[in-house]
Amino acid sequence: MTSTFSMDWLFAAIIFFIGAYCMAVSRNLIKQLIGLEIISKAALIALISAGALSGNTNLAQALIITVILVEAVIVATGLALLVKAYKVNGAIDIKKLNNMRG
Amino acid sequence: MTYNLFIYIIIAAAAILAVTAGKMLTSAIMLAVASIALSLLLFNFNAPWAAVFELSVCAGLITVLFISAVSLVKKEDESLKESRGKFLLLPFLALAAFITFSVILPPWFETLSGYAKYPAGEFKVGEIIWNLRSIDLLGQVTILAAAVFVVKSVFGKRSEQ
Repeated sequence: MTSTFSMDWLFAAIIFFIGAYCMAVSRNLIKQLIGLEIISKAALIALISAGALSGNTNLAQALIITVILVEAVIVATGLALLVKAYKVNGAIDIKKLNNMRG
Repeated sequence: MTYNLFIYIIIAAAAILAVTAGKMLTSAIMLAVASIALSLLLFNFNAPWAAVFELSVCAGLITVLFISAVSLVKKEDESLKESRGKFLLLPFLALAAFITFSVILPPWFETLSGYAKYPAGEFKVGEIIWNLRSIDLLGQVTILAAAVFVVKSVFGKRSEQ
């Protein structure tokens, strides 16, 4: 670990790994969305660290505000679809969501 | 640097607990803890606007959305039986990944840090949002409108045939 930037991105990589593992192994749709949130937190860490490295924190802040908004929209839409799928199928297990299988 | 390290460990631990937790409610609360720690980190990086957004939207709004969704599908906690082994394996896998990454990745990150481009001038956040990246605002408004239409079409009343 030689610099702050490397440490930031190392932890971003670890947090990305945790979120990706959650999305890969879980069958629960809520857990999948939680994994997506964790991955977006890793992206925010990488953004602010890159902004701090180049001395342009304000541009990183502007991008982070955009990312947070997109994140909130994704979660709201995903949870709305989840609740609807639960009402239709009675399950939030991704293996039971195969109605549209060809 | 020590403070940042402490915050990173809190974020990683909260993320692991969010993934390994048996109950969905605990997962949502641990995600909120990770968001709060991330907002502390953003304050420490001298990014107060982003920190306030993170604290209010991620730790507030998204947690409320998750908890309301969990309360709507509460019975699913008991009916969806997943094997706990693959989640309990995660702390060990994360530790192994940390050791592997800390050997492999830092030289590459050092190379990446050499590509940093330094800004020509100092801009305020408001100037960047409204002037430099105003097209982002158009995208944000479009995405928000799309989300409103999706939620309306999912939950809107329609006549049953």
